[in-house]
Amino acid sequence: MNHSIPSVDHRVSVWCRKLYVLTIKEFLQLFRDIILMVFIVYAFTLDIYLAGSGVSLQLNQASTVVIDNDHSAASRELIHRFRPPYFHLDKEIASGRKGIAQLDKGDEMMVLDIPPRFQEKLLNGEQTTVQMQVDTTNTVLGLLATSYGENIVGRFGLEAGLSRAGLSSDVLNTAPNIVDAHRIWFNPNQQDSWFMSVTEMLTIISLFAILLPAAAMAREKEKGTVEQLLVSPLTPFQIMFPKVLAMTLVILAGTAVSLFGVLELIFHVPVQGSLALFFAVTTLYIFTSAGIGLFIATIARNLAQVGMLTILVFAPMIFLSGAWTPPEAMPVWMRFLMGLSPLHYFTDACLGILLKGAGMSIIWDSVAGIMVVGGAAFCLGLWRFTRQFD
Amino acid sequence: MGCAAVVKESGRSPKAAVSVARISGFVKKYRQNVAVRNLDLEIHAGEIYGLIGPDGAGKSSLIKAMAGVLSFDQGTVNLFGTNIDSEKSAEIVKPRIGFMPQGLGLNLYPNLSVEENINFFASLRLVPADELARRKQKLLSVTRLDRFKDRPMKNLSGGMKQKLGLVCTLIHEPELIILDEPTTGVDPVSRRDFWSILTDLLREQGITALISTAYMDEATRFHRMSLMFEGEVMAKGEPDDILNLVPGTVVSLHADPQARAVSRLKEQFLQVESLGSTLRVFVENKLPNAAVQAVVAALDGIGIKDIQPAAPELEDVFVALLHQRHLTDDAPDCPQDSLSGPAALQPVTLKPESLNPDALESDIAIKAEALTKNFGDFCAVDKISFCVRQGEIFGLLGANGAGKTTAIKILNGILTPTSGYGQVAGVDMRCAGKDIKNRIGYMSQLFSLYQDLTVVENIRLYSGIYGLSRRETRERIAWVIHMAGLSGYEKKLAGRLPMGVGQRLALGCALVHRPRILFLDEPTSGVDPVGRRRFWDILFKLSREDGVTIMLTTHYMSESEHCDRLALMYAGRIVADASPLEMKEALKNDAGHLLSVLTGQPLVALKQLEKSGFDGVALFSKRIHLLSKDPGAAEKTIRSVLGRGRIDVVDIAERPLSMEDVFVYRVLELEKGEKGLEA
Repeated sequence: MNHSIPSVDHRVSVWCRKLYVLTIKEFLQLFRDIILMVFIVYAFTLDIYLAGSGVSLQLNQASTVVIDNDHSAASRELIHRFRPPYFHLDKEIASGRKGIAQLDKGDEMMVLDIPPRFQEKLLNGEQTTVQMQVDTTNTVLGLLATSYGENIVGRFGLEAGLSRAGLSSDVLNTAPNIVDAHRIWFNPNQQDSWFMSVTEMLTIISLFAILLPAAAMAREKEKGTVEQLLVSPLTPFQIMFPKVLAMTLVILAGTAVSLFGVLELIFHVPVQGSLALFFAVTTLYIFTSAGIGLFIATIARNLAQVGMLTILVFAPMIFLSGAWTPPEAMPVWMRFLMGLSPLHYFTDACLGILLKGAGMSIIWDSVAGIMVVGGAAFCLGLWRFTRQFD
Repeated sequence: MGCAAVVKESGRSPKAAVSVARISGFVKKYRQNVAVRNLDLEIHAGEIYGLIGPDGAGKSSLIKAMAGVLSFDQGTVNLFGTNIDSEKSAEIVKPRIGFMPQGLGLNLYPNLSVEENINFFASLRLVPADELARRKQKLLSVTRLDRFKDRPMKNLSGGMKQKLGLVCTLIHEPELIILDEPTTGVDPVSRRDFWSILTDLLREQGITALISTAYMDEATRFHRMSLMFEGEVMAKGEPDDILNLVPGTVVSLHADPQARAVSRLKEQFLQVESLGSTLRVFVENKLPNAAVQAVVAALDGIGIKDIQPAAPELEDVFVALLHQRHLTDDAPDCPQDSLSGPAALQPVTLKPESLNPDALESDIAIKAEALTKNFGDFCAVDKISFCVRQGEIFGLLGANGAGKTTAIKILNGILTPTSGYGQVAGVDMRCAGKDIKNRIGYMSQLFSLYQDLTVVENIRLYSGIYGLSRRETRERIAWVIHMAGLSGYEKKLAGRLPMGVGQRLALGCALVHRPRILFLDEPTSGVDPVGRRRFWDILFKLSREDGVTIMLTTHYMSESEHCDRLALMYAGRIVADASPLEMKEALKNDAGHLLSVLTGQPLVALKQLEKSGFDGVALFSKRIHLLSKDPGAAEKTIRSVLGRGRIDVVDIAERPLSMEDVFVYRVLELEKGEKGLEA
């Protein structure tokens, strides 16, 4: 080599120029991929809207049938305590067998069976039984229906007992007992849409943070252009970084759209914490999750394989994120695995910032978790990249 | 079989010909793109009909429509008297035809063994068990696959896959077989083997065949053929008839200085090619002597050596036909000024034609020493050694899977060798830094363009990757567009460009940083002859005027003659390494001259000549080729042998040896030697 060593300034400007053209290239390629663009737009708008407005974890209009063998004032009174919004009385049927059949078919969620001589026994102070059969295929809803039902029946029994003793039900309020003074923080009306839409947004961010860089890299492999990059004076980092940079910017834009356009505008999610902190954490998270995507791309040979591997990695990441089940409720070994899911830290941090107004002093451990786990994934991707061709 | 026709030895008289397939006014469109335009075709019973044309000529569309697996827009396709106009009618004729789609073994099941594959196809066609056993035994022994009966198909070589494909296509004894590019990507030895098996079987069973190919040099294998280009038939008839469409003579010569001779000749003649140091000129409408005189006159004042006339080949005629119809793209010719432009980063150190054999160590641009690459148990490249001098065009020639691509990828640093040593511009590629990467250019097999970026965006991207400044980038964009004839295409997406144009853009992108060494991996596969020739013109200029060292791979035997030096690769090894001319000379010394014998009864003559002990006897349509060290004596022997059999000899002529002849001979020799060692 006979030419002089270029100055540092020159080297930096060449470096920046390479970064610039490669990032622009990623944008052009992405924007010209109509199908992927439609998917991105859908995911950051309509999908989050659907999740926020459609999915609910509350007991709502549970369809109930009644077998009333007594037809008395008391039985009617009890039946009518199963009311909307929690329960919906469908109809009365004659036999228990028919009720079971309807549970089996999934037409009804609950069968309420009132025995003969229900009122008579109540008035006589004898013991009587009310049977509830609940479909708990969906455990959450089943559990809610059972406990609400128990509550209703128990209360009815108590009132019946009091009135037989000649006391009005007001006695309950004056009797000495413990006052349950609970305060509902962060989501006073307990709206599912807040939690659901935020969680869905975080899920979508994670999905694209993995999928987009992986797809961009796999496309280069499939078309053979990656070889062209390998023989050119670019380091593996210079090849991978522009992809991550471009995809991060795209995902951040999508996040802004769904945060301001869907979450705030439609669901009125009150953003409690600092927006700057939220975007900073999100940027860090996307950057580091991209490492998982790049790692996938080093294993996959084409786009289809990238799709499958993404699902393979992504499904456990969601289960282990802690968004659906708190870590304490999981078996010990799974709790350990949760520590490996960057989405777990991300969910913690973002729910903290957005809904609880947490600052860095509270979420610093989650941010550290993102850094460690994501950074490891990124390094792994970078390390695999140079070795994948042999 | 009802209407099985036996091939008549004395050629087919038109009256006796029974039509097996008749196609008229055939049109196939893919959305707006017309793939085949108004095509007429008639295939007679017992003949081998060829469809010849480059990729995108519409061969596969026609073939698929005939096999009943593709609908078409206009016209009629009539097979055995049945109009193929619906799925139902296609089902009627399907038992009588056999179809083998394009691609090595793509219709076979990789995880099934050879025998299981055959059984599967037989059961699809409801072949009775005893019939199957008989046919299977015969076909396996003819194709010499019987030893590999239990081997999974995926472990067969390309040539063997194609033979198995053929067996599966023939297992239900069809009357017409339709083969889509059966020899593409198959090595020349297997290719010759495939053709001889095919012609034997067809002849014996009276089967009619429609075969497509992109190799112009396979034309002589056909009885009749259609020459296709961009959905249209350019010419049809017997091979000799097509050659006669554009009468003329090919003149080959050595000239010094070569570059000046080329530009002089181009002023007068449409087809001028540089094959290494040889120039090849097609002089239309002139007999040999007149043609030589015309060329000599055009080169007044330039030193000429070894001037020789020869008969034109099909490719010359094809290109001439394209010129006549103005179907060649009219982009400006290569610029006459230096290709590197005024601001070349590195000084040009090479003087053209300075390729003396005792070059100094510093003159060596690329060097490989016992380079080996294993992928698991498979040895892709097996101890290859060669060196390439600066400014030389060096070709690696071999079939698919011979290890060419692996060799090139080791040298430009994408793969690390298992053992051995590769050096580029004096530096070991394993630890090559950025400086060395700035001095090499690479164009990979798939043209390595970003299909969803436009022409200009692609060039700009590569300029940026090599760290060119904005000003330099502007200059180089203009240069690439001019050099590659891309004006008018600037805003088009690279994925929408015609093959030949895309290929030149890829070359431009590989040259954007003015590399001193250029690696090209199968740069011309799938490009039509005109596009290929233009591409070679550019490479020639780069090498001769700018001293760029070029190393490329190709599986086109005919194309390899453009190289200054060649290495023949077979199964990961280098079989021979010399200039094309030297290789042919060596073959002449070792094996002899190539004689082409034209007789009235080629099939009988073939048997008799084989029996009388000639080397390399093979049938090409009506002509028989054979090798002999003493042409004079051989001619006498041939005449006497054939005279005894009462066969009239129409013509015996010596033909120039082709690279394919060299390749086949060297590989067979190598295999013979190895068998000797094993024994």
